[in-house]
Amino acid sequence: MADPARIKAEDTPERIKSVTEGNLKPEQTEDVSAPEKPKDENIQLSSQDLPKQEVKPETAAREDEEEGTSGQPPSKRLKVEPEKKKEKRHKVDEDEIQKMQVLVSSFSEEQLNRYEMYRRSAFPKAAIKRLIQSITGSSVSQNVVIAMSGIAKVFAGEIVEEALDVCEKWGDTPPLQPKHMREAVRRLKSRDQIPNTKYKHTVFH
Amino acid sequence: MADEEDETGFDDELDDGSSGVDVGHGRRKRLFSKELRCMMYGFGDDQNPYTESVDILEDLVIEFVTEMTHKAMSIGRQGRVQVEDIVFLIRKDPRKFARVKDLLTMNEELKRARKAFDEANYGS
Repeated sequence: MADPARIKAEDTPERIKSVTEGNLKPEQTEDVSAPEKPKDENIQLSSQDLPKQEVKPETAAREDEEEGTSGQPPSKRLKVEPEKKKEKRHKVDEDEIQKMQVLVSSFSEEQLNRYEMYRRSAFPKAAIKRLIQSITGSSVSQNVVIAMSGIAKVFAGEIVEEALDVCEKWGDTPPLQPKHMREAVRRLKSRDQIPNTKYKHTVFH
Repeated sequence: MADEEDETGFDDELDDGSSGVDVGHGRRKRLFSKELRCMMYGFGDDQNPYTESVDILEDLVIEFVTEMTHKAMSIGRQGRVQVEDIVFLIRKDPRKFARVKDLLTMNEELKRARKAFDEANYGS
């Protein structure tokens, strides 16, 4: 099953050459009126580890890359039988992939640009690794860096999305201003989506 | 204005070079300016986001990574950060949890594919 973006001829060489794939989190842009919100995800990897030869195996591996059940809470997944789950997941994958293909094929130029940025942008692994190691004082494995970069990107996305909501609510237009960002952070904090171990509220003392 | 600044890292926007409050945070060089700009555009912001907003976001991300690292160090094997710890910390947040699972699965798949490819090459 091809990557939805690959159906575009000019995108194809880019997509195959670059090994970096982005997040397929459902996103809302200003131009998109009512986008479908598939729940599949794509994997994002840095191109540092993989040489150019990786095109073939990577293309083969791409078949399974889209995760259909990622939208469900993790606990639900365990209750389905393993065999049925694989079949179901395959079908859901194919549906989602097709839907994504249809969606991406109908993007305007601006939307395509934005989507490409959304998928390709990533935190540099070296900087994240340096940051983590400066805190732990010892070295960390590559998987930790991969996981942390991925989560950091999701985190940034959550803030930007919330800030865009705030911006719209206040009747402003993008680009986002610091006041939107701060209000977004305040809202996320109240929902406990921002970790904070600095100020602890002791009830009984 | 001071009461708004309970977020770390704003100090460097107001600070005029005095050795003041938050020396580590926000005084260092901007690590992710370029990447964050692309990311913000991808997430829905304008094509040229404001530098101040990018700075705020960078500080938030660094703080997030720092907090996660500290938490991960305190659970599981003390003093070390392992993937299992991160997955454990993220378990309640469905988005992040799914993303980490996907990333790690894909990494494994790619490693396997790479290995198979190399072995095929080795044969010929």
